[in-house]
Amino acid sequence: MKSCTVVTVCGSGVVTSSMIALKIKDQLREKGWDATMYEASPVSLSSVITGKDIDVIVCASPVTEDVGIPKVKGMGMVTGMGEEKVINEIIAVLEEKHKD
Amino acid sequence: MEQAIYRELIVTGVDAKDSEDAIRQVGQLFLKEGFVKDTYIDAVCEREKVFATGLELEGISIAMPHTDIIHVNKPGVTVAKLAHPVEFEHMGEPGRKVQAEMLFMMAITNPEDQIGTIMRVLGVFQNKEALEAFKAAETEDELYEAAAKYIG
Repeated sequence: MKSCTVVTVCGSGVVTSSMIALKIKDQLREKGWDATMYEASPVSLSSVITGKDIDVIVCASPVTEDVGIPKVKGMGMVTGMGEEKVINEIIAVLEEKHKD
Repeated sequence: MEQAIYRELIVTGVDAKDSEDAIRQVGQLFLKEGFVKDTYIDAVCEREKVFATGLELEGISIAMPHTDIIHVNKPGVTVAKLAHPVEFEHMGEPGRKVQAEMLFMMAITNPEDQIGTIMRVLGVFQNKEALEAFKAAETEDELYEAAAKYIG
């Protein structure tokens, strides 16, 4: 198992981010990644990521701020349509970052 | 399993002129039963403008309005069928409109404690059989039965 750190973002940082966090964690585990999950709103994002080594941000609401961490659109995890695409995009980011 | 569905939070035939009217009418159920503070409805309306919650699912569009935990007293989910669809903006995709036929309005006090509820609601969104059951429900009793079965 490789380790990674993922932040999920939604409007309130409560409901939707929790929804997709658990699904992402489960599906990453199946693909060999042990994910530490954090949840944030666009407002709390910069404080949530401060002092942490975050690999990828998965957004269920648009995040315009550039915090220097790759972002993946996570809506597919909510509707169930396009879940695999979301996971594949997350893994592509993780593999790029952890290639050594 | 924490309870989220209550008969008094189930409603059909909500005749709303727009998304805000729908939120205000359905939010009244929460308010009347003491699930939320009197700041909740305004907070949900404001939040919906900034972070929309419309979702186009398989065969039906819905919205899941909610807001910050400080406006909530007790966790629950209202399940409402609208008399006719109203326009919501799609979550995460500014500018994309959906014609919502149902509202799943959420009152959450602690996402960790209520993760079961949150995940069961998400499960409904992604479960064709469950969505069909909600669509087919015509009376409030039938809607309650579907909500209790799939959300609990």
